[in-house]
Amino acid sequence: MQPRPCPNQPPSVYAPRPCRLLSVTDLTPQEKLFRLQLHDGEELGHLPGQFVQVSVPGLTEAPISVASSPDRHGAFDLGVRRAGRLTTALHALRPGALLGIRGPFGRPFQLDALAGKDLLLIAGGCGLAPLRSLLQYCEDHRDRFGVLHLLYGARSPADLMFKEDLQEWQQGECFDCRVTVDQVPATGCYDGATGLVTGLLGDLDLMPHRTVAVLVGPPPMYRPLLEVLERKGIAKTSIMLSLERMMRCGIGKCGHCSIEHLLCCQDGPVFWLPEIEYLRGAL
Amino acid sequence: MLKRLDRADLEKLLAALATGYRLLTPQRLADGTRLHRPHGEGALALQGEPVQRKPTEAFFPQHDPLLRIGEQGEVTTCDPPDRPVALFGLNAADLACIAFIDRFFADPPADDHYLARRKDALLVGLTGFAGPGGDFLPPANGMCDLELLALGQNWLGVPWTPRGEALLEGFPDGEQAEVEELQETARTRGNPAQDLLEKAAGLVASEVVPDDFWREIGDRCILCSGCNLACPTCTCFCVEDRQEQAATLRSRVWDSCQFDAFMREASGHNPLGTEALRTRRRIHHKLAADVTRWGEFGCLLCGRCDRVCPTGIGIQAVAAEILARFGA
Repeated sequence: MQPRPCPNQPPSVYAPRPCRLLSVTDLTPQEKLFRLQLHDGEELGHLPGQFVQVSVPGLTEAPISVASSPDRHGAFDLGVRRAGRLTTALHALRPGALLGIRGPFGRPFQLDALAGKDLLLIAGGCGLAPLRSLLQYCEDHRDRFGVLHLLYGARSPADLMFKEDLQEWQQGECFDCRVTVDQVPATGCYDGATGLVTGLLGDLDLMPHRTVAVLVGPPPMYRPLLEVLERKGIAKTSIMLSLERMMRCGIGKCGHCSIEHLLCCQDGPVFWLPEIEYLRGAL
Repeated sequence: MLKRLDRADLEKLLAALATGYRLLTPQRLADGTRLHRPHGEGALALQGEPVQRKPTEAFFPQHDPLLRIGEQGEVTTCDPPDRPVALFGLNAADLACIAFIDRFFADPPADDHYLARRKDALLVGLTGFAGPGGDFLPPANGMCDLELLALGQNWLGVPWTPRGEALLEGFPDGEQAEVEELQETARTRGNPAQDLLEKAAGLVASEVVPDDFWREIGDRCILCSGCNLACPTCTCFCVEDRQEQAATLRSRVWDSCQFDAFMREASGHNPLGTEALRTRRRIHHKLAADVTRWGEFGCLLCGRCDRVCPTGIGIQAVAAEILARFGA
């Protein structure tokens, strides 16, 4: 799959394109889903796993992963956690608001390498947002993949993102979808699994030679997960990760996302494990 | 085409440059240091230490307005000045630094903002006996439009581009033998600092330098960021917005990987969150990571970080220490 070229090139690589906010949906108390459309009506032209720089005049920009598949035409989704001034301002926006977008940027999930494989798709916390672009792509092209395992862990039931999607994925036939939360408040009403996402791997019946694992989550999730995957016989060359870094420019110039000689915004954010596991500070 | 210029010829060349370019020449400040300033503001200082501030700031300034965003999201880019810069009096290290960041910003996706400022700029090298007190500076052998090789009271003019050739037209011819003599002087003197850097880089890249060492260097660092801000190949920046009536001016501003928040993510995770990793990054990036990515050191030995560091941990000082402690 190739990205669609953008016919209306912006005047500079640093120039945001105007974008209209179509809808805002609460995902969790900290996260909202923003559905956006480029003002000129063009498609964003992204691939699953890529990110955009969201521009709010006065507050600069923030890197946000695209949370929808490029095949869901007409608009694109961003799942945004409220974490700083810019994302707080985003959370206050209402449908109809104008904001700016640069991108898409970065190396996407390697769809060619995933084709024909069983996929072990693992997300932690708000890592489900970037993974959702691939999950939707898998749904739309189900025949291109073998068994699709989806494992998702969040801190608490309230922190589970995309609850409606999760319900569909659990009830549907596309994914073997398993969900867990670290903790359940004493007053909570939750009858699902508890424990870390690594716990969901325990009784999973995998065919290691034909499985590719795709991991997206907070940095502390990776090392414990990699240990379990090794025990399950998944080769390092069959593990793909998406790394979170503070990309400021998206074009490999500002230096904020460098991991030794690699630039996460251009060489990543999706990497194969052997490309980064030996680099200090990568995991 | 080789030319020989005396002082009057040099003044003529500078006058020609000043008509077509925003000419910046090295001038002495009251404290004895030199700085690139608009030509004519002060007396020319054709010999001395490298200019105090990094020459790359002519194309990548500390505060660099990128664009304006209007109320309806319309974007106007900040165009380069009408007259391109002519940067006069650059030594070989500074020219190599400019070449380094030229390639960095041109690497796809290219930084059109930088390239627009660099596109028509003219570089004039000044090497030969142009160091402090007339000390010898090795020839640049290119990397500029025009190189002047200082020979005491005269200069040999070597053009490296058609623009350089046009500027030297009409001046008397020079003797090739004089250039060869300067080349021989450079060969005889060698480059001990380069040797030191290469040996230290080998140790850094092979990970024989322990975290304890980086922690110790970190402890000696006062986090002033002077090393990064003085370094001509340091290009890290952050972005800031300022309100200008109805529009927002978006600019980039130099940043430093030595600051705690440089890589801190929205989640609070900080990949450079230890003193060892922070300090190691500064040296490892120039001596190992840049070699892997670009095929050459990110330190071209301009000497600025060693001159400005208040605690003596510029890159050459650290390289010497690495070699002394782990080079056996």
